[in-house]
Parts: sequence; structure tokens; C-alpha cells
Amino acid sequence: MHLHLSEEDAAFQQQMRDFFTTQVPADLRARWAAGGEPSADDMREAQRLLNAAGLAVPHWPVEWGGKDWTQLQRHIYLQEMQAASVPPPLAFNANMVGPVIATFGSQEQKERFLPPTANLNIWWCQGFSEPGAGSDLAGLQIRAVLDGDEWVVNGQKTWTTLGQHADWIFALVRTEPDAPKKQQGISFLLIDMTTPGITVRPIQLIDGGHEVNEVFFDDVRVPADQLVGERGQGWTIAKFLLGNERVGVAPVGTIKRALASAKQHAAQIASGDGTLLQEPLVAARFAELETQLAALELTVLRVAANSHGDKPEPASSILKLRGSQLQQDVFEFTADIAGPASLEWHQPDDTDLAAWTALATRTYLNFRKASIYGGSNEVQRSIIASGILGLKG
Amino acid sequence: MDFTIDDDQKALQDAVHELAARHAPAEAHGDVPVGPAAHDPKTWAAIAEMGLLALPFGEDVGGAGASTVEVALAATELGKARVVTAYADALTAAGLIAHGGTAAQRDDLLPGLLDGSVLIVPGLAEPGRSWSLEAYDVTASGAAGEVTLSGAKEPVPYADAADKLVVTARAGDRTGLYLVDAADVTSTHVRFDGTPAVALGSLDDAPRALRAGLNLGILAVTAEALGAMDAALPMTVEYLKTRKQFGVPLAAFQTLTQRAADMYVSLELARSTVLYAGMALAADPDDATAASRAKVVTGQSGRHIGQEAIQLHGGIGMTAEYAVGHYTARLTAIEHTFGDTRWHLARLAATLDDHQQVDVLA
Repeated sequence: MHLHLSEEDAAFQQQMRDFFTTQVPADLRARWAAGGEPSADDMREAQRLLNAAGLAVPHWPVEWGGKDWTQLQRHIYLQEMQAASVPPPLAFNANMVGPVIATFGSQEQKERFLPPTANLNIWWCQGFSEPGAGSDLAGLQIRAVLDGDEWVVNGQKTWTTLGQHADWIFALVRTEPDAPKKQQGISFLLIDMTTPGITVRPIQLIDGGHEVNEVFFDDVRVPADQLVGERGQGWTIAKFLLGNERVGVAPVGTIKRALASAKQHAAQIASGDGTLLQEPLVAARFAELETQLAALELTVLRVAANSHGDKPEPASSILKLRGSQLQQDVFEFTADIAGPASLEWHQPDDTDLAAWTALATRTYLNFRKASIYGGSNEVQRSIIASGILGLKG
Repeated sequence: MDFTIDDDQKALQDAVHELAARHAPAEAHGDVPVGPAAHDPKTWAAIAEMGLLALPFGEDVGGAGASTVEVALAATELGKARVVTAYADALTAAGLIAHGGTAAQRDDLLPGLLDGSVLIVPGLAEPGRSWSLEAYDVTASGAAGEVTLSGAKEPVPYADAADKLVVTARAGDRTGLYLVDAADVTSTHVRFDGTPAVALGSLDDAPRALRAGLNLGILAVTAEALGAMDAALPMTVEYLKTRKQFGVPLAAFQTLTQRAADMYVSLELARSTVLYAGMALAADPDDATAASRAKVVTGQSGRHIGQEAIQLHGGIGMTAEYAVGHYTARLTAIEHTFGDTRWHLARLAATLDDHQQVDVLA
């Protein structure tokens, strides 16, 4: 066992830190750090800067822009990116559809889609969940029927994150309704969002924001060469994609930054003759959250060091569960620190309240999503119980 | 940072595993001991003979020249098998002597302590007082060479088996470390009434020695707690698979399996934190942050796993003849040893201004 990074990894860490803090504009990073609804333009600019430096899709195959890094290097890269408040490459592109096309797509599909996906020239959104298919994803109903060399798609998707910015959607559709098992009749389609028959309707969330949508498909005609892999292989692809989604999903760097900001804020809020940070109960909660965050980061590092190729260390399954809990705990605590100032959701024109307080409650409410998306925490517990502990009813 | 265990460490783990299996307490024999374990000379001799006390100390004082990582691995195996001994206490005493004693005291005391021929344990707690590294009610007086102690320490685990004690005592407005003879001590309640004592090192060195000595003890007990949790969870899982109610195994009930999954989360967080503390203390024996974090995480994980292990078993988990409740009892004792979760959170809270954010990767 070794406490410190190797010389090579320490140099890598410095290189990443230098890049993120000097090559991505400070004003863009400040806007990202402030939170609230993400700016699509900032996300595009950041991803293109990263892509130009070969840092947008390091986990892809090398011939499509990948870096062949170790798991630890990938962790350091993410950590430094989050610490510098650089918007991460769009997950739908970099972590979801990109690896799917690289793994299951035809050569034509790779050449057509991977370069613009890496550069965010195509903004992808995810068409998985439906009103009747959430955690039970295989129960999806949307139909695609082959008509000549086109699939005709009818039905609805929902919870489509940032679909309002999307150029394309990757969707799971039912192509073989008569398959013996519901998992078998599903295919993976790539669909241009400008195709006639597609309607996007915003869903307003409890924080007042608009980040998810419903997407309706009414006789949408999709060229047959936009089906990825084989007909009926969609479930296999979906499991591959969701597996990627869960790996490295503990946003340790982001949580650290949020907790550090909360501490700064607490030090600036007067309480009696001192500050809120000096209140014993507040200080103890900070000490507890820092300790729990250190435990999570150490687990992330242990998983990174012990994962080889396709064999992740079993403890990786706890990262999504624990990461989402801690992220929620930190935002909950931040709202508590804002206290009465959190009652304003939009900074008034003439105010003495600090700007961050207007976002505190909205961010807290917004991140209740973290234990629901990417496989709810109940699903994660089921995966641990059956996959690791061998508890099968 | 690398958590991989090398071949030598694996061999040590295996050896301690076998030792622990030979000396594990009986269960399911009707007369299972409950409560604090008495000193068992045979087990103690085996631990000493294997060199487990010597692991983190240099060869110049009779140590093995390994590190605190090896201490963590060994203590985890002892914890898994419920081998409860004076291991953490003796290591703490050795740490106090190594970091606080004069060169002559180190040369005089450590070789015997580390080879098991002399048992020295720390006496820190005072009756009627919450946990503290400061002494209040035991006082030291007299010039060098004629020091005497007055007051009481209690409880002092293994004092009745020890040859010597190293205790904290008030010297003016400071806390010092003192060696006293324990040959006549017959309980964990140690009374001093003008009792002759020898100052361990200087008053100036005492605070750091106390921190470093305590760190070593914390590492040993948190690693033991990790072992206890690492055994209690598989026992619980096995029980859920085999115990049937309503005609099906308990594992058919999601309300139970989801909770077992949460126990696994607590276990793995504790494992990461304890292994890291082993590495951190090898690099800096004075790293109180790493030690306190390990104590807090194992404290919270230990409470969670200990309580759920009993609950998911049901009634059988309450019985003395079944091991799982003994793990919970031991986890509870560890929580109250060397400062509890609250004490360590308070210590960590006092350092919040020292850093902007958590950083473990350097």
C-alpha cells in the first residue's frame, strides 16, 4: 500500500490542474461554480476546448479520441475538472451514446457520429424512460415498425434531460412486440430531433427549473441505418450503457467544492458575536460531512486502483448510492446555512442578501433527483444485495 | 495512492487468521463468556510470539520494522475472530514510550514490551470524567526522581494483568506521562496515594506523545472493528439465505435485503478509511486527522452494522450462544475506547479553519 501518488501520477495531476485552471476561461468556470440552470453555450464551449486538447472523451477507444489511461488517471482527471468548476463533457455524448456507438455501431455509424459527438456538434439526449417504464425499464411501450427502409416510431419518452437543447435522441424502442420476454424485443435507435412528428414538451420541476422534458413521437420516420447493433439487441446495449453510467458516478470533486463553499458561507454569516461556522452544532456537522466525504473519496480511489479492464472492484457499486446521498446531504446543509435568506428564490434588485442564498433551496430541491436518476438508490441496493451479497429471493 | 496488499502483507494476514482461529472464543457451548474479555496469557503469548506487537516499531528498539499498515491488517483478523486482547492497549503504551520516553527509557522498556515478556498498558480514563487526553484528578508531585501520584484511574483495561502502567497525571497546569509499577494492581480501578512514579520523558514532549500513542491505539481498535463488521455482515447474509419464514428464505423480503445492502456500504466505507489511516500513520504517526476520521467512520459504521446484524437475525441474534451479538458488544466497547465519535468529531471540528476542502489525494 502507498499513501502518495506515484511521481508519474502526481505529474499527471499537475498537468490536468494546469489545463483546467488556465485553458478554460475563468468567467465560464465562475458561472458553472455559481450553480443554477446550466448554460448550453458554456457547456458547448467547454467541451470543445477539452476536445481540442484531446480531453473530452479519454475513456473512448484510442482511435476515436481515447487516452488509454489507468482508472486512477481517469479519477484524477475528473477530480481536477470538478475542482476547477469546468463543466464536464455532456454525459449523454461522452458517457452514454459515444461508448455505445464505439462498441456496437457499424463503421459508417462510428465515422458519422463519433467525431461530432465528441465535439458536441451533436447534442444528444436520452430516450429511455417512459410514463409506464421507470425503474422497470424493460416495460417500455414505444413502438417502431419497419416500413421499407425506415422505422416508423410512435409513442412517448419522458424525463428527457436537456432535451430542449438536443439535436439527436438515442432511444430504446420496441421492434419485436411478440418476443417471448419483454427484454428481447427492444432495439436502440438514433433519431434526429428535427424529424417531422417529434414534439418536445417541458416539465417544470419543484425548483422552478426546466431541465427535463416529455418527447412525443407521432409517425416519426427513421432511416433503418440508424439502428445500432442488431434488431432486438437494445436491452444488451442498455445494460452496457447503464453500467458505464454507474461507474465513476460519485462526483467527489463536485461535492468537495460544494462543501468548501458552504464552509466559506458559514464563516461569513454572523451568529451572535461570532459566525455560524463557530456554532458547535454547525462545526460538528461540517466535521462529519468532511469525514464522510473523505471516506467516499478513499473508496473511489480504492475502486480505481483495484479495477482492471472490465472487472470493476465490487465496492464500485456503492459509489452511486453513497455519492448521491452525500451530495444531497451537502446541499441540504447549504440550504440550512442560508437559513432565513433562503426564503428568497430570486435575488431581489435591491438586496443585502448574498447571491448564493437565492439558489440554496432550489439546489437542495433539485438534487433530490440524484437518488432517483441513473438507477434509483433502491435499484442500487438491489444490485448490491443480489450481485455482491448473493441475496436472491 | 495504492490500496493493494503485497505478498508479505498477505502472508501476515494468513498467519494472523490462523492464529486467531486457534484462539477464538467458544460459541454455542452453553457457557459463552459475555462482557469484557479477561486477559488470556496463552493468546497473548501467541500474539507476542508472532511479533504482532513489534510490527510498527524500528529494529533498534526490538521492533519488526514493518508499519502501521501491518498493524491494521493484523488487528482486522483478530477482530474477525473475536479475539479480544490487550493488543491495542499495549501498542498504545508502546507508542507513548516510543514518542515520549527518553532514549534510555525506550531502550529499557520497549524490547520487553514488544516481545511480550513485560505487559505495559495505558491508564488514561478517570472515574466521573468524560474522555480526555488531559489528566485532572490524578496529580503528580515531587521533584524529578521523587515523583509521586495521587488520585484514581478507572477503568484501566488489563491493569490487573499488567506489569507496569503508563498514566497521565496533572503536573501544575499541564498533563504529563508517568510510569508506575502495576505488580500489586488487582482490578481495573487503580488508586494512587503517594504512589512512586517515574516521569516518562518531559512535559514538553507529552502532548505529542499522547497524540501519537493514541493514534496507534485508535488504528488497532478501528481495524479490529473493521474485522468485526467484516464478519458480522457475512453471518447476517448467510442467515438471510438459510432462515425460512412464511415458507421462503428471509432473502425473499426486500425490506431485509435492502438493509443488508446498506450494511455493505457502511462496511466498505470503514474499510477504505481504516486502510488509509494505516498508510497515513506510517507516513506521519502524529496525523490526528486520519486517526479521528477512522474513529468516526468506524464508529458510525459499527453502530449501524452492529445494530442491524442483530435485528436482521431476530431473536437468535440476542443470544449469548450465537456470535453475532458478541460482535455488536465489542463494537460498542470500541466506540467507547480512545474517544468516542462525538469526541473525535469535536477534535476534527476544531481544525475546520486549517483547510478549505477535504484532500486525501497527494
